Amino acid sequence: MALTILCVSFTLLLLLGVPVAFSIGLSSLATLLFEGLPLAVGFQQMISGMNPFSFLAIPFFIFAGEIMMYGGIADKIVDFAKSLAGHVRGGLGMSNVLACTLFGGVSGSPVADVSAMGAVLIPQMKKEGYDADYAVNVTTHASLVGALMPTSHNLIIFALAASGKVSIAALILAGIVPALVLTICNLVAAYAVAVKRGYPSGTFPGWSVVGYSFAQSLPGLFVVVIIITGILSGAFTATESASVAVLWALFLATIVYKKLTREQLLKAAAKAVKSTGAVLLLIGISSMFGYLIGLYGVAELTGKMLSSISSTPWVIFLCVNIILFVLGTFLDMAATILICTPIFLPICQQMGMSTEQFGIVMLINCALGLNTPPVGTTQFIGCTIGEISVGTVMKTIWPFYGGLIAALMLVTYVPAFSMWLPNLILN
Amino acid sequence: MYTRFCAALARLCLKVGVGGLMLLIAAVLYQVIGRYILNDTPTWAESGAVLLVLYVTMLGMAVGVRDAGHIGLESLLVLAPEALRLKMELLIHALVLGFGLIMAYNCAVLAQSVWNYKIPTLGLSEAFKYAPPAMAGALIALFSLEHIIALLRGEEVQPSWH
Repeated sequence: MALTILCVSFTLLLLLGVPVAFSIGLSSLATLLFEGLPLAVGFQQMISGMNPFSFLAIPFFIFAGEIMMYGGIADKIVDFAKSLAGHVRGGLGMSNVLACTLFGGVSGSPVADVSAMGAVLIPQMKKEGYDADYAVNVTTHASLVGALMPTSHNLIIFALAASGKVSIAALILAGIVPALVLTICNLVAAYAVAVKRGYPSGTFPGWSVVGYSFAQSLPGLFVVVIIITGILSGAFTATESASVAVLWALFLATIVYKKLTREQLLKAAAKAVKSTGAVLLLIGISSMFGYLIGLYGVAELTGKMLSSISSTPWVIFLCVNIILFVLGTFLDMAATILICTPIFLPICQQMGMSTEQFGIVMLINCALGLNTPPVGTTQFIGCTIGEISVGTVMKTIWPFYGGLIAALMLVTYVPAFSMWLPNLILN
Repeated sequence: MYTRFCAALARLCLKVGVGGLMLLIAAVLYQVIGRYILNDTPTWAESGAVLLVLYVTMLGMAVGVRDAGHIGLESLLVLAPEALRLKMELLIHALVLGFGLIMAYNCAVLAQSVWNYKIPTLGLSEAFKYAPPAMAGALIALFSLEHIIALLRGEEVQPSWH
């Protein structure tokens, strides 16, 4: 009965339009009241869930991403990507994929990625004769790679949701090859559509221009090196790496590129404070929710339900993927990670999936959700920039969806895609 | 009058939050400098940062309530007829207000109950851990009330810093 109250009240509140974090909190409080437990127990769980030192990496990653967005780094990355792939058929589309991937590596956020890259590339593509739906679909899909990059704060959220069962270094490494796979799938989809629609090819500017633009973008891209080498060498913790990344981003934006004004810096910091607040509330409240989920054995119940469908791992993985995708279309990325990890991680582990692999599968599913209505945040931003309706974009989304689903299937069913690099480097 | 008060309060919260974020970065960087350059890792830096992040983010979270920074599912709300939508929006803000009050009260009770315990390495009372959510709960209630008043007047709450 208590579990029914928890699930039904959560669903009703969510459908009513109550923000996700408050829906979770209010349904948890209602359940505690029904059980006759003091409400303070819930808040105690909430505060203890907000405590780990690694959580600090989240505001830093968000802040660094915001600085990168305002600080002129995006322009340099676009120039480099255009010099590299502009001469291929549908060159601007291909350059867009590369630019989004590179900037995703720097910002670690699909939303920051689509905002920064979309603002530069979508109008440019439209001006050069590309259809708006193609420009938006290429940008919104390519930007999703940011969620898997070492600078992604969602990796940290997953590590917290997995309750310390995963090392952040292993998780960061596990995301790199899937990010490359996703980029290749995006490039193939963008190229195939470009060929079908007969988009033009540009001219190759020469290796000297490629080299020059690479050198110009290198300082921005160096932030990824700082994070990976810092954590892997053991010199820094994830939090310390993120704070060094903020310092580096500030140095580039104010001294090297001289683009960041005082007003923009304060705006970026204020946005980081607000975004982190929203994420922290979700993390804390999900601890309250997780406490109740543990109390009622929801993971075991879901496991039994799934095993009644099949005992074959690939079928279970497919079911988990479908559930995660559906939830990801309704919920924010952080909420999906925090609610679903305690339920589905034990099931997938039983079926032989490692925690790191599950984390990456979870992030790709959430990324798919970011590009699907009704809560498709990146899609909505892309459509706003491209001045096109979501409905029109959805009509031609299938090749790009195909690319994303192909990447998801590869990462789900071939563990080597996510586990080869962590196994190689961390043994 | 109440809206102006809330707008000023939200801006103050964000300014304090931004200052806190800078302090956080400084504390974590000082920890790195202490370990590698000064050869003396400051023991307070880590626990101080973990405590400070609670203050920074709780302020941001409360302002998020005012500036619509918390993501929800709005599809049904958008589809509802205008009269029903107004009632739904009032109910949503009333529920968030209720949550804020419950959070403020319970976290204040928790703060009081741990007043005599100290946070190791900082020497501060454990109550400092529960003070930010208590304060944030009160702010959430204030900002939700502002939304309710604005809805009843047919107005919109303007974000404090955009």
